[in-house]
Amino acid sequence: MSGMNTPSNAVPALSPELRTALIHKLTALADDELILAHRNSEWTGHAPILEEDIALANIAQDELGHASLWYDLRTQLDGSNPDELTFFRDANAYRNAPLLELPRGDWAFTMTRQYLFDQYEYVYLNALTQSTYQPVADVAMKILKEERFHLQHTQVWVKRLALGTTESTRRMQHALNDLWAYAQQLFTPLQHETTLINASIVPDLPQVHQQWLTYVTNHLTTCQLTPPDTTPPNETRYTHTPHLTDLLNTMQSVARNDPQGNW
Amino acid sequence: MPDTQWPRWEVFKQDTPDKPHQAVGSVHAVDAEHALFTARTVFARRPRTVSLWVAPAHDITSATLESLGAVTPDASAEEAQVFVVFIKTSHKRSMTFVDYAGTVMATNAQEALARAAEQFHAQVLAWWVLPERSLTKSDDTQIDSWFEPAQDKTYKQQSAYGFIRAKDAS
Repeated sequence: MSGMNTPSNAVPALSPELRTALIHKLTALADDELILAHRNSEWTGHAPILEEDIALANIAQDELGHASLWYDLRTQLDGSNPDELTFFRDANAYRNAPLLELPRGDWAFTMTRQYLFDQYEYVYLNALTQSTYQPVADVAMKILKEERFHLQHTQVWVKRLALGTTESTRRMQHALNDLWAYAQQLFTPLQHETTLINASIVPDLPQVHQQWLTYVTNHLTTCQLTPPDTTPPNETRYTHTPHLTDLLNTMQSVARNDPQGNW
Repeated sequence: MPDTQWPRWEVFKQDTPDKPHQAVGSVHAVDAEHALFTARTVFARRPRTVSLWVAPAHDITSATLESLGAVTPDASAEEAQVFVVFIKTSHKRSMTFVDYAGTVMATNAQEALARAAEQFHAQVLAWWVLPERSLTKSDDTQIDSWFEPAQDKTYKQQSAYGFIRAKDAS
């Protein structure tokens, strides 16, 4: 150890351009986790078996914890309040990928979405641990531990449903057909993301996209599922589907009912 | 009505490396690997865990001190194999567990019970035996992903959360 380590609570200096771009990126990372956590939480009390009801509720809590870690890094940069961002932003200010706001569908849809996203997180966070912005690298390392379990869990489910019965196979292929194009949007750069990539604060996307495709294609082939030919969806991280507005109407209703309330 | 549940698996949890695996409950799952994932979520999220084992519930044979007399400990023609032995030593606390005690060699479950009773008898109230090959164990190289994150999370009793009493609200 050199003794020159930056204290863990120190915020490294950034140019104004990088700072703006990083605030934007942290918002997208946090929003992905928050919106997926909410969709998963909708299964609480409704999952096909008690054990998986508990599992998905736990995963939802994990994702919410990850959202909180990303929002906290944003707070370090601009003093924003994560509760304010969560409960008082409208849909057009959210930066999550539309993949995560789609209604939860059936169990096949939920597990397929979770698998595609877990595999994305696994490759993306692995790359992000090399970030030149140390707080981002530290959070990526912390989240990655839990995401490895999430990924194993959904791989197990995807395989069993895909190779289960005629009905479960049909539902899995149907879910994959609906989700595949949306999943590719996880690898579309945000506005200003290039400046972060050039500074090695975040990884370049084509490379992680290729890694993701390799992993996902291997597993789906094992499961005898076929990725469909698709065209990119009309909605983006900046426009969203109407489903996000519906989700926020539920998620934000209590907080907005009494903005001064003390929870 | 037909039973639509998946098979039941007993779950054995080890809290720290110096403690025995303990039977903590059961889960329904389609196979051993699925049972391990399910057990991790249900039993190991909090508090501390370092290892989990699962076994099909129907592979477990048990006897109490009272029923042990009915056990016929004859060796059978089958080849001897390793049976793992779990023992229960107390009824006193509300959370009494069946703890891992060791192994015996036997040709069948009844013989294994008899051997277990010979070898592990001090204060034992009940024995469980099962073939070692029926156990599926969590991967020790996955501890950081399966069990360590739980240690950073706070566990709150229900009473830790604030609530509004009727007389405060009025």
